[in-house]
Amino acid sequence: MAAALFLQGLEQPWIIWDWLFTHVQLFIDAIEQHLLLTVIAVGSGMVISLPVGIAAHRYMWLRNPVLTVFGILYTIPSLALFSILVPFTGFTILTAEIGLVAYTVLILVRNILVGLEAVPADVLDAADGMGYRRTARLLRVELPLALPSIFAGLRIATVTTIGLITITAVIGQVSLGQLIYRGLIEGFRTPLLVATLLSIVLALFADLTLAGAQRLATPWSRSG
Amino acid sequence: MTFLYSVIQWLLDPKQWSGPSGIPTRVLEHVTISGEAVLIGALIALPLGIVLGHYGRFGNIAISVSNVGRAVPSFGILIIAFQIWSLGDLPIILALTALAIPPIVTNSFVAMTEVDKDIKDAARGMGYRDLVQLLRVELPLAVPLVMAGIRTSAVQVVATATLAAYIGGGGLGRFIVDGYATQVYPEVFAGAILVGLLALATELSLSGVERLLTPRGIRLLRVPADRRATAFKTA
Amino acid sequence: MNRKLSSGRLVAALMAVVFAAVACGSTSTPASTSKGTVTVAGFNFPESSILAEIYGQALAKDGYTVNYKLLLGTREVLSPAIKAGQVDLYPGYAASDLEFYNNKAGEATGDATATTSKLNSHLQSIGLVALTPSPAVDQNAFAVTKATAQKYSLTKLSDLAPIASQLVLGAGPECPSRPYCQPGLESVYGLHFKAFKPLDTDGPATRAAFASGAIDVGLVFSSDGDLNARGLVVLQDDKHLEAADNIVPILRQATASNEVKRVLNAISAKLTTSDLVTMNSQVSLNHQDADAVATAWLQAHNYSN
Repeated sequence: MAAALFLQGLEQPWIIWDWLFTHVQLFIDAIEQHLLLTVIAVGSGMVISLPVGIAAHRYMWLRNPVLTVFGILYTIPSLALFSILVPFTGFTILTAEIGLVAYTVLILVRNILVGLEAVPADVLDAADGMGYRRTARLLRVELPLALPSIFAGLRIATVTTIGLITITAVIGQVSLGQLIYRGLIEGFRTPLLVATLLSIVLALFADLTLAGAQRLATPWSRSG
Repeated sequence: MTFLYSVIQWLLDPKQWSGPSGIPTRVLEHVTISGEAVLIGALIALPLGIVLGHYGRFGNIAISVSNVGRAVPSFGILIIAFQIWSLGDLPIILALTALAIPPIVTNSFVAMTEVDKDIKDAARGMGYRDLVQLLRVELPLAVPLVMAGIRTSAVQVVATATLAAYIGGGGLGRFIVDGYATQVYPEVFAGAILVGLLALATELSLSGVERLLTPRGIRLLRVPADRRATAFKTA
Repeated sequence: MNRKLSSGRLVAALMAVVFAAVACGSTSTPASTSKGTVTVAGFNFPESSILAEIYGQALAKDGYTVNYKLLLGTREVLSPAIKAGQVDLYPGYAASDLEFYNNKAGEATGDATATTSKLNSHLQSIGLVALTPSPAVDQNAFAVTKATAQKYSLTKLSDLAPIASQLVLGAGPECPSRPYCQPGLESVYGLHFKAFKPLDTDGPATRAAFASGAIDVGLVFSSDGDLNARGLVVLQDDKHLEAADNIVPILRQATASNEVKRVLNAISAKLTTSDLVTMNSQVSLNHQDADAVATAWLQAHNYSN
């Protein structure tokens, strides 16, 4: 088979353990950078999405334009979006983040809207009846009830972002993706496989962490 | 504005519409690879999700599958596939199929478990035997959510197939990768627009298929937003 | 209830640790006695990473703070980056860089010094400068498999003329627009291939394409160290399409202080083509790191601490 010819006499083990154990720092640095990019993307996404989601919930006419604009951005392949941004914002973290945040915002806004819309009408009536004004009702009734949906969005956005960050390697961004990219260019399997596995582990760890944070933040959902 | 004009100029240039690296060829390559991956993925994932959902078994796994699937970096998987199977369509389709499976499994499972218990009881009460009940009662009711899973999967496969250009693949990703390598940005932009249009066409045509398959009786029910397929972006 | 609370707290604590690690790890403080910061870029193939590391590590040993942007892309990608000041230095190739910055005017020759001074005449006005070219050379080369060479009795590129229309050419996507690649093969040798397959710049995809027969002729580099091991043979450039692609550091004029020039020129003078071949095969065949290979070269040439 062609693959066998390709590797004829140059068969490479999937992990060269000696190399791996002498390059732990390389992976630590990559993970740090990867996490940094993730935290910035999801954090910024949240900062943008909360007011936008709340506004789109309050003003019905905003809902469709917002979902449409970010929906369109969402269908742009991230490779294309990062590449197009380079002439404007250069080989910087900003370039990667503009793309990543665009994607997280759609996920978060949609889930914030769904969460707010799911608040039962009688709960809203009860709150109004108790004398809550609009802002107080939002902060103390609607948002807390929307938390499960918001957290679901946070988890999806975080896991998605961690995967998308690997693609920023092609615009020179340091992350686990750069070790994957190096595996491509040098035909070197160890960083390719290990960085891919670490990316999966990182994403699952983040997902579990956020799931735990969700349990902390919504104690009422634990019973039943 | 002049940049937009140069993109349109690039798209209108007749040279781009002929030959082995022309737009029609690349679109065909892209559709073929994506279509095969989603088809094979669905052939694997649909029976799995539907059967598990019908019997209500392994629910945790079925739902976690899409969480884990979302955690897999498509870039890494494609390059690993290249290291295993070298060049050609095979590694690309295998990698994309792996990415296509999770949302279909999860959505099919949830679709089946959400079929109203009362309806299933009524069907059994009417004498439907198990397989018949499955086919004539549960599946039609599950169509909206199952199709949502297939739609999500297909749109993401179309986007992820752009990365295949890094392992010698064809498709619309070639315009993005080659354009960027030579810094011809109208080409990159045009590639992005074409992929976006293809994704839109995929979404719309599968919505059409869903409408065809949904039984008339429940067609009027809109699937509420929180029961739609959750976001799945791999590239 | 308590058990659930404590696991929740554990998770929250984990998150705090993660954020703290990220916050601490992401700050990098340059040495207080640094002579300045230099960002070195490399092209998207391993030899460029090796050269970038050699020049970068030499500057670091001389007291500069060096950042790297390796595997950044093709020359078309690096050039705007260095002109905009996002990177300060990249290891260039005299003739190819000349033909890039002069818009393919065809000025390069086999004379490295003349080629470099013409290059500088074009770099002058855009704030860049090329230093003294090294004796080490890496030109484009075109290879076929040993089987193909035997089948058609090929030893030099002009042997391809009668059969080119049946053959497929493979290279990186930039090849069709490079004077020393496909256009040059057409104009100098009259080779019009059946098809062009975009792969990678002298990387694993190109080698896999040779092995599977997807391409018949492929672009490799004259300093590659793994061609023989992979059963590939280079066809001789008998009509001298290629020119003086000697290694030459290209920098922003603002970075090119006398000290920087001194360090870099000293390195360039000691670099040889056979060094390139050795180091390339260490990376592509033995999977050593570009930075380790660079460090070893520097030590062998008396640049150790």
